[in-house]
Amino acid sequence: MNPVPTAENPFAGDNSGIQKRETAARWALRAGSYLVVLTTAAIMLHIFVKGAPVAFQSKWPFINTQFLTELPATLHVIEGKQGQHIETDVNGADAVKKQLGENFLSEKTISYSGGGILGPIVGTALLVVVSVSVALFLGVSCAIYLSEYAKKGKFLETVRLAILNLAGVPSVVFGLFGLGAFVLTAPKFVDVPAERSVFSIPLGFTTLSFEGWDTCVLSGGFTLAFVILPVIITASEQCLQAVPQGFRETSMALGATRWQTIRYSVLPFATPGILTSSILGIARAAGETAPIMFTAALAFKDKLPWQKDLPPLPADASIFAHWEQSVSRFLGIFTESVQALPYHIYTLAAKIPQNEYAERAQYGSVFVFLVLVATLAAASIWLRIHLRKKYKW
Amino acid sequence: MVTPDPSSAAKPPVVQVRDMDFCYGASPALHDIHLQVQYHRVTALIGPSGCGKSTLLRCINRMNDRVTGARVTKGAVLVKGKNIHDSDVDLTQLRKQVGMVFQKSNPFPKSIYENVAYGLRIHGEKRKSVLDEAVERSLTQAALWDDLKDRLQANALALSGGQQQRLCIARAIATLPDVLLMDEPCSALDPISTLKIEELMHQLSQNYTIVIVTHNMQQAVRVSDFTAFLHLGKLVEFAPTEELFTNPREKLTESYLRGTFS
Repeated sequence: MNPVPTAENPFAGDNSGIQKRETAARWALRAGSYLVVLTTAAIMLHIFVKGAPVAFQSKWPFINTQFLTELPATLHVIEGKQGQHIETDVNGADAVKKQLGENFLSEKTISYSGGGILGPIVGTALLVVVSVSVALFLGVSCAIYLSEYAKKGKFLETVRLAILNLAGVPSVVFGLFGLGAFVLTAPKFVDVPAERSVFSIPLGFTTLSFEGWDTCVLSGGFTLAFVILPVIITASEQCLQAVPQGFRETSMALGATRWQTIRYSVLPFATPGILTSSILGIARAAGETAPIMFTAALAFKDKLPWQKDLPPLPADASIFAHWEQSVSRFLGIFTESVQALPYHIYTLAAKIPQNEYAERAQYGSVFVFLVLVATLAAASIWLRIHLRKKYKW
Repeated sequence: MVTPDPSSAAKPPVVQVRDMDFCYGASPALHDIHLQVQYHRVTALIGPSGCGKSTLLRCINRMNDRVTGARVTKGAVLVKGKNIHDSDVDLTQLRKQVGMVFQKSNPFPKSIYENVAYGLRIHGEKRKSVLDEAVERSLTQAALWDDLKDRLQANALALSGGQQQRLCIARAIATLPDVLLMDEPCSALDPISTLKIEELMHQLSQNYTIVIVTHNMQQAVRVSDFTAFLHLGKLVEFAPTEELFTNPREKLTESYLRGTFS
């Protein structure tokens, strides 16, 4: 029998409201997503509009090289009677005043708002290098042990709980931990232990003294390493787990030891993911303020870490002739305290009187900072795509 | 299937499983297994899913060591006359001499050459001439050399499923193992690739001793000289393949072969 078309709609809704609830749910979820995008766009746009004019300029070379290559300095603003504002540094102030002569009205000084932000950029770069090296070494070791060696059981659960808790520790607590552990008690080799040394072990030719590393790049880098460690461990472990079990089985069945298996058949295929997560770790480490406040960062420093009042190496000698000194001077960079971008932004925003000049420095710093972080994120994406192509399975 | 060779017939069995019990933690998986594998013969392990045939296979190269809590609780496994659970047995040496091919073909995402050379490299072989020779020999024995000799540097994942599995066989025989364990090597392959692998096993049995797990009874008939039938962790019957399939001694074997299994 052929079905007879009916006038009635057999699929009509029953008006029970489920369609309305469906629509409501969809819009609520959509609104949430839009809000996230909107917030991000608002932050980015605001900083771009206010910060880009500081970092860029309309004339060649279009980038404000002064802002990127000079150290922060006090800005002198001299007001003339005709209402003109002349910006200068501490050395130029007198000349400007003399030139204005009778017209001189007033002089304002604004801390940290002149010059550029090279000091903080360099400091942040050094901190990131140290922290990511330390965190990658510790984190990948830990992840390999957890994923490949540790037997499932109480111990593994305990370690995982510890990592989870580490991730939940507020960053200011990390800062204080770093102060206690690295700044005040970490061991170092010295000829004569300082008075504040917790204890020291004489080794004959030198002494291992637990007297801390002072506030320096090393202390701050190690502290930051612990901040990003949970991220790196968790991500690395996931990347290792994503490598097919078959690779391990095959490798072991061919007589490889566990380490050979990891070295040749697991780690190469997990590396893209581990690097991606580590670059995200860089962004995190670069942005933390609290952990470096007590351990590495200064509000102001008029020298780069390698600018020290040391006698120059003899002019005739090549770098190799004095390699010991060269190496120790290179390592000396890491025992200096530095300025860092997030802390510099905090200083500009909270520690000096606010006016248009300070605001300009603030937005410029934030803008440069965001561009650096965005560059790192882009690099991580590029690296992932590139390595995936090479090691896909 | 293979003409009996007096020299190998005189040799003691290459694998001897003696009254072995095997447990995963508290749950027993194999009970009182007694099995002898002759040199240069193909021995098939058949039985319903979960009967423990793969577990038995993995006892022979101690791959079960990877599973937490898995252990032999009674009896012994001897390979080439040596108890493989003795403390002076080096696992890497055992597995070099007892190769394994898995159900899922799993070449490393590296070049064909590197896949085959892997076993030798991890055992410290660095001489290129030795590696080259081993790669050519293994690929020839796996009936791949003519197809692949011009693209040894190509990624192994570019090969077809059947070629990948034969590459895995080549990789396993590159270290010249005495025994080759195969865990359902054809279960993921199409009929033509399966046929090729079966032909290959005939040829390989001239140089290697093969133990194969299969869920395909016809395959066991086609490739093996001896067949062991396992059921619920027990070895029900072990006999020359022809005998077991035409004239099974045990009721259980007969009903399994007829498909009237309860």
